[in-house]
Amino acid sequence: MAHVVLKDLVKTYGSFKAVNEVSLTVNDGEFVALVGPSGCGKTTTLNLVAGLTTVTSGDIVIGDRVVNELDPKDRDIAMVFQNYALYPQKSVYMNLAFPLQMRKLPRDEIDRKVKEAARVLDMTQLLERKPRELSGGQQQRVALGRALVRDPAVFLMDEPLSNLDAKLRVQMRSEIKRFHQDLKATIIYVTHDQLEAVTMADRMAVMNGGYLQQYDSPAQVFAHPVNMFVASFVGSPAMSLIPLEASTANGDAVLTSAEGWTLTLSQANARKIQGATSRKIVLGARHSTIKLHKSAVPGAISAKAYTVEPTGDVTFVQAFLSGAIVNISVSPNIAVAPDEQIWLEFDQERMHLFDGESEMALRAS
Amino acid sequence: MTIVTGSKTEARLRLQSGRSGLPRKVWQHRADYAYVLPAIAVMLVVIAYPIYYTIELSFFNTPPGLQLRDKIFVGFNNYTAILTSEVFWQVTLNTLIWTFASTFVSFVLGFATALALHRDFIGRGVLRAILIIPWVISAVAASYIWKWIYHSDFGIIGAVLVELGLASRPPNFIDSVSTVLPSLIVVNIWREFPFAMIMMMAGLQTVPEQLLRAAKVDGANAWQRFWHVTFPHLRNVSTVTILLLAVANFNSFIIPWIMTGGGPSNASHIWITHIYELAFGRQRWGVAAAYSVLLFLILMTLGYFYVRALSGNERREAKA
Repeated sequence: MAHVVLKDLVKTYGSFKAVNEVSLTVNDGEFVALVGPSGCGKTTTLNLVAGLTTVTSGDIVIGDRVVNELDPKDRDIAMVFQNYALYPQKSVYMNLAFPLQMRKLPRDEIDRKVKEAARVLDMTQLLERKPRELSGGQQQRVALGRALVRDPAVFLMDEPLSNLDAKLRVQMRSEIKRFHQDLKATIIYVTHDQLEAVTMADRMAVMNGGYLQQYDSPAQVFAHPVNMFVASFVGSPAMSLIPLEASTANGDAVLTSAEGWTLTLSQANARKIQGATSRKIVLGARHSTIKLHKSAVPGAISAKAYTVEPTGDVTFVQAFLSGAIVNISVSPNIAVAPDEQIWLEFDQERMHLFDGESEMALRAS
Repeated sequence: MTIVTGSKTEARLRLQSGRSGLPRKVWQHRADYAYVLPAIAVMLVVIAYPIYYTIELSFFNTPPGLQLRDKIFVGFNNYTAILTSEVFWQVTLNTLIWTFASTFVSFVLGFATALALHRDFIGRGVLRAILIIPWVISAVAASYIWKWIYHSDFGIIGAVLVELGLASRPPNFIDSVSTVLPSLIVVNIWREFPFAMIMMMAGLQTVPEQLLRAAKVDGANAWQRFWHVTFPHLRNVSTVTILLLAVANFNSFIIPWIMTGGGPSNASHIWITHIYELAFGRQRWGVAAAYSVLLFLILMTLGYFYVRALSGNERREAKA
């Protein structure tokens, strides 16, 4: 196993910058998720690491070697693809053996390694089958196996679960996590599903528009998003972002809505907005940090329930505040009807404040 | 009135419930059968009847002096005459050489061109358009042009060879027994390799990019990627292309007929030209019909493999 370092990585297609000065370090044995919406550059970044795409500028280091100019086969990597990319005419055994045959390993060694991989992934009974005779989950396991037999320095996974149905995806998620724990493998995992990133990765690199937005542990990214994009991308349902204006009333810092209501800030939050570039402030609140009252409470803001979605464990209520959608989760015991008058109370300790101009998180200086 | 309608419905219900299995299915699709009926009727007139008539004719002798309706029944005489004649074996050998050589070289050349054109390079579109030209121009026009190119006195190939000092006098391409068939095969290949090229180009576009990438990561070089990913993926389209070429070549007529008419001394006669000459040149309808029946049987066998290759495709896809 080895560590991977990306230094100021740039990939351009004509005038389009797909990857923009991305720098990050993946430690030996670490599971890193590259996550972001479609077209954010995450797959391009992975292809750059794999050597399937050439680097425009910057460096890729795997282990102690700069691999920019090396062919994929010389980079000591293995890759798992979204559509599994199994060779349809070859049996499972031959699929697993293929990368070893290409390396001209002796036949008995290939046999030993293939059988070992099959045993680890619990698919010894599938070795004689053709890929089309396997279920989606089994095909995915063969694809993992084909990466595993190589004993590579780094595993690259390109949305390996997105073709599976919801239930199987949850199951394979834990299998891949287990795979990582058992092998102490270095894994770079691309996904558009923030939930996969949060549940599996040691660290997640959130990307948007070719730029790396934030690179930290899922807990940190969740608790301290650096900007509005990360705040709205990570977490489900998404963090509510309410555009407001900063002012003072009776010596207290308050946020005023275009709708007329005001929210008096705690001292800690008041200090945060001092760093803002303008009076435009965006209030961010996760669904669990907003308290829903069915009657007026001092400090709570009046709103109307728009939709109510019971999920069993919790009920999600959506409302509009200052033109923004606000998600609130409540206990299923609390009955809320659409169009019902409700009062929302924000938790000052756990609310996020963003600069309305730069969209960056405001931190206490 | 109501009573009548009621009993009608009842009768129909009884009728329907009385049918089971196949007749019932046919009844349910009666409208569909009605739609294809005109086409079937036309097919019966222009295809089924001629086939029947050809088979019938193949058992008769049709001396040039007699009217066709006064034909004389001779049993299998036409067949035995054909199979024992020397010309038959020569024509058959010519046909086999013609078919195999044309099909094989056209396919290989077409495949190679398709692979070359599959890469992205400047001028690819223009080159592709140019290479399709032989296939889209009229075969008759092409045959006359090639006849001129090969001409022993005025042909451009001969002139160039002489000019370059490679030959003392222009070679005899299509007037010599030994070179006529290869010369015609070259023309045929020139004309039909674009077909193989187009088929294989279409096939190449369906090779999953991700599989090629996977093979690259697995350490396969360009040749190994071709052999382990591209080629297996193209197996079915290759089979279909080869079979279509083979059938087309077996049935070739225009190029040999226009360029040489089968000569000199049958050296470039293939089955179809020979049948045509027997029937329309020498009015030996019975013998020509017997030849046609034999050819029909051979082509049916090829057709069987063609259909099997096609349905094999579908089976595999349905499974995948």
